[in-house]
Amino acid sequence: MRRTFVYFILGFVFLVMQTTLLAAMLPLHFKPDLLLILVVYLGLNEGYVRGGALSYLLGCLQDVFAAGYPGLHGLALLCTFLAVRGAAARLNTESSTLLLLLVSAGTLLQAALLLFALGFFAEAGALWVIILKGILPQVLLNLLAASLLLKAATWLQHRFAPRFKLPGLPRAGRHYGS
Amino acid sequence: MLELLRKYRTPLLAGCLILAALLFYSARLRQRETTNAFEQTALGLTAPVQGGVDIIADGVAGVWSAFLGIFGNSPEVLRLSAENRRLRSELAQLTELRLENERLSRLLAFREEIARQAVPARVIAEDASSWFRTVLIDRGRQDGVREGLPVVVAEGVVGRVIKSAASESRVLLATDASSAIAGLVQRTRARGICRGQGNLLSFDFAMHWEEIEEGDLIVTSGTGGVFPKGLTVGTVSRVSPGGFGLFKTVEVTPSVDFYRLEEVLVLIEEHR
Repeated sequence: MRRTFVYFILGFVFLVMQTTLLAAMLPLHFKPDLLLILVVYLGLNEGYVRGGALSYLLGCLQDVFAAGYPGLHGLALLCTFLAVRGAAARLNTESSTLLLLLVSAGTLLQAALLLFALGFFAEAGALWVIILKGILPQVLLNLLAASLLLKAATWLQHRFAPRFKLPGLPRAGRHYGS
Repeated sequence: MLELLRKYRTPLLAGCLILAALLFYSARLRQRETTNAFEQTALGLTAPVQGGVDIIADGVAGVWSAFLGIFGNSPEVLRLSAENRRLRSELAQLTELRLENERLSRLLAFREEIARQAVPARVIAEDASSWFRTVLIDRGRQDGVREGLPVVVAEGVVGRVIKSAASESRVLLATDASSAIAGLVQRTRARGICRGQGNLLSFDFAMHWEEIEEGDLIVTSGTGGVFPKGLTVGTVSRVSPGGFGLFKTVEVTPSVDFYRLEEVLVLIEEHR
């Protein structure tokens, strides 16, 4: 329960950073999708029930601050989580590069899901043009953010809480073979 | 049968979850223009944090500048550097105040020009996604701001309110893909719809025989039910004949700089 709460608070902090600090620092409306990175991390480390519920909740929270369609990001993040969770069972998760690879794939999948959900159920307008123009910078930005977060989390754990094990981080660290 | 269910338990569970999420999303589409209790609570809880982060970011930037200034050599250099930083900081503050004063004066003059009652608001956050164009403002229901109200600046149309909590609201910018504003070419009165394209706008449904040239001003037609007539939307930046089609392809550069949006006006009087 405590872990779920920590994930939720982390998601909330990421969301605030995305809408304020990162939005002010980066040009052309681009910002890294930190919630997507968190959901990919959940897919590698959490079970279907906890991870699925958290992903959907975080997605619904994102919907309050993105676009104007309640449940849109909830659906997209839930599908992304399930895809990563399903793939993680067939992949060697003892590699930090896998997280980066899955973040890239997750960005593409999320964009496709948004286009599907808006195209079939609502009015997508020229969203596909915006996504096509920006998908490559977005993938690169998410990759950069994921690698920085991974390094920061590993460093923080080794520096301040070497005995405290965060799920997934020990095996993602360089001492555990990546 | 039970064995089959047990065998495919995980894919079935995943399918059910996706279906439930899809149904919820689909059902909520009809109430898109209203703000539910979850959204109001989340907006209410987050807005003070988002406002605070701006102040913290300024503080961090100041500390970082001071930290960089430590690497001077002699005490004289350090003293002069400190004085230089202080004077620069004061100058920056004064410049910021002057610019804010200019912007607010323009808004005030514009507010007096328009016939409708307007509430000034400050932009406190942007959209959480790179694909959509919305901003969060620090005015809400307590100030009379409701869903559907137009938002403008002195330069022209900004967008309309799509979500409204007690003291915060979200504004859909004119450049968002789902935004559509009824407009007309000021010079020739040709009618069309301004749709968001991310950073630019397109002027759709302009008949191919209409006379539209680069540099023409597009203003709101007042027929959409949201924006009053005559507000500037943008300037025509490219016109293509559209081949054998019925409509011209017209690209419009918005008159508002959406990257530097800081203060806006919400027109709260009922549209006539």
